[in-house]
Amino acid sequence: MLSAVFEQIVNGIVSGSVYAIVAVGMTMIFGVLRAINFAHGEYYMLGTFGAWFAIEYFDLPYPVAIVIGVIATAVIAVVVGRFVMQRIVGAPPETGVLATLGIALVLQNTVILVFGGGYKFFNGGYIEPVSIFGFTLAEQRVLIIIVCILVFVGLELMVTYSRMGKAMRAVSQNIECCAVVGIDVPQVALRTFILGACLAALSGVLTAPVNVSVYGGMGEIITFKTLPVIIMGGLGNVRGTFFAAMILGIAESLVATYVGLQFRDTVGFATLMLVLMWRPHGLFSAQARF
Amino acid sequence: MMNALDRRAFCFVMGLIGLGAASTDAWTQDATIRLGIVAPMSGPNSRYGSFSLRGAQLAAEEINNAGGVGGRKIAITSGDSQGTPVEGVSATRRLIDLDKVDFIIGDVSSSVTLAMQPVAEDAGVLLLNAASSNPKITYGAGAGGFKWTFRNYPTDENRALVVIQYAAEKRGFTKFAILTVDTDYGRAAIEFTKKYLPQFKGEILTEDYYKEGEVDFRSVLAKIRDSGAQAIIMYGLADTTPIIARQMIEVGLAGKIPLIGNAEFNTESTIKAAPKALEGAVEAAAWLPAWDAPKSLAFVEKFKAKYRETPNNHAYVHWETVHLLAKAVEAAGSADRAKVRDALSKIKYDSAMGEVTFDDHNQARLPMILLQIENGKPAIKGAYSAEIKYPAK
Repeated sequence: MLSAVFEQIVNGIVSGSVYAIVAVGMTMIFGVLRAINFAHGEYYMLGTFGAWFAIEYFDLPYPVAIVIGVIATAVIAVVVGRFVMQRIVGAPPETGVLATLGIALVLQNTVILVFGGGYKFFNGGYIEPVSIFGFTLAEQRVLIIIVCILVFVGLELMVTYSRMGKAMRAVSQNIECCAVVGIDVPQVALRTFILGACLAALSGVLTAPVNVSVYGGMGEIITFKTLPVIIMGGLGNVRGTFFAAMILGIAESLVATYVGLQFRDTVGFATLMLVLMWRPHGLFSAQARF
Repeated sequence: MMNALDRRAFCFVMGLIGLGAASTDAWTQDATIRLGIVAPMSGPNSRYGSFSLRGAQLAAEEINNAGGVGGRKIAITSGDSQGTPVEGVSATRRLIDLDKVDFIIGDVSSSVTLAMQPVAEDAGVLLLNAASSNPKITYGAGAGGFKWTFRNYPTDENRALVVIQYAAEKRGFTKFAILTVDTDYGRAAIEFTKKYLPQFKGEILTEDYYKEGEVDFRSVLAKIRDSGAQAIIMYGLADTTPIIARQMIEVGLAGKIPLIGNAEFNTESTIKAAPKALEGAVEAAAWLPAWDAPKSLAFVEKFKAKYRETPNNHAYVHWETVHLLAKAVEAAGSADRAKVRDALSKIKYDSAMGEVTFDDHNQARLPMILLQIENGKPAIKGAYSAEIKYPAK
């Protein structure tokens, strides 16, 4: 009994790690641009497609495919960032909603147009099960947890110590003051956006081997699972996002086991409603930042 | 792109044939049997419609070349349902009012067929369905209400019953876990499974439904593993099966608990994704090109020779149903609608799947082919029939 619960908690941590890597990019983009990036799941999809393309057409090994998936997404993010996201800085909130929703449609349908709408089979990664603490887990999932920890440690260090991290924090606090003291706000916005998109792509490539199917519409569900996480974590709060993602992952896993799989998706939105009712600024922020 | 061109060329040719048929129609009014085919000729299911129409046309051509039915030729008119009930109903009306058809075969989608039933009933035109699987269609036909609806296709209820019967009798399973897609299709299949489960002394240990697009099944699979179930009943989506199969390997279910039901367990790419998890999987199908009966194999050859493509299930059932209808007209001795209807309810027809007879709900008694994955390949385990128990009124 106890080991069963423990196994489910580990399952929750694995799905929480995926949510966390995607959500942290979205929350950082929000912090700097004040816009919910509704196209965020699409970068997850692009990363997966990039890796799938590398494996399927050029027969490249999976580790190389990870790099290609992320780089391909970065290139697209540079274009989107330059032409769209930079213009959102300081614009009214509905601009961000419309622009990112539009980008989501364009990216999704371009991929469907180029590769067709059918499901593709992702052939790569480390799917052999390994035995840990008496239950089995695909190697790939262990990799996901390790990468998640590395990403968050890296982000904490970057946000706290690096020039770019400090600039990001500054922009998320006050755009006008940043401009006054000489911080290049559009540049910071662009870089944050590219970083966020790359993290989403990384998460996509890492989960592809265990999720098997690759298709144009796969990003949507990710965007909607990420929303409750970033609101629970407190918009723009990196550390909060990590814990919120873990809580959601574990809660979903336990609900799927002890209540029923059909109720899993309810968890995210039920917690979202509760958080909005009692702590609209998030579980881990002392006060509302925006 | 090639596909789109082909389809356009195909539609054009169909149009010409239609014109040709219409013009001969004018001269030989009484000597033709006018048959309408309602199928999704455009929209997302147009692939099914194209197979259906070509199957029906092949049958009509065979019959006409052999001298027709008692000297009468069959003239086919196509109606496009686009896979939606609204378009299906207007296509049916057009066929009845403008083309004056006596018989209609259609549609592929159950929801369209359900909408067509009252239209055919009001007009007194025989509606012979060849490809919809929702049990409701014949629950409401014959003794159930609609006198003019017949169905020559096994239902989801047949499928659920045949699968559970095979699992219980041939494999000796009594403890089941349910992991099925959360749609009308999945829910109905489980409802019918539960209806018949007690007679095989089966019990359900866990019951879960997944949403379309769900990717994480580890939790629920671990629960199933610990529950002591002997098989997982799955009526699911073809695209989700590889994900579940891979995660079955991960949680250590593969090779221990097989999947049974229907979710394309037998396609090559699915088996390739997780061969170990799909070994022993059981699936029920209405027809397969590989079905080893002389009549069926001859049909596959003819279809391939004419259209340079392997026929699918929809091509077969429409081909067979046109032949069935011709047989009923022959038995009735005239193309009179009421006489043909009565002949149909008494018919004994030799199909490629075995003898076809209709029950009091105008539902054909048809077997389903059971497949089991053995050594990474689908092996046909024979055809199984099941009599439906209609609820007492």
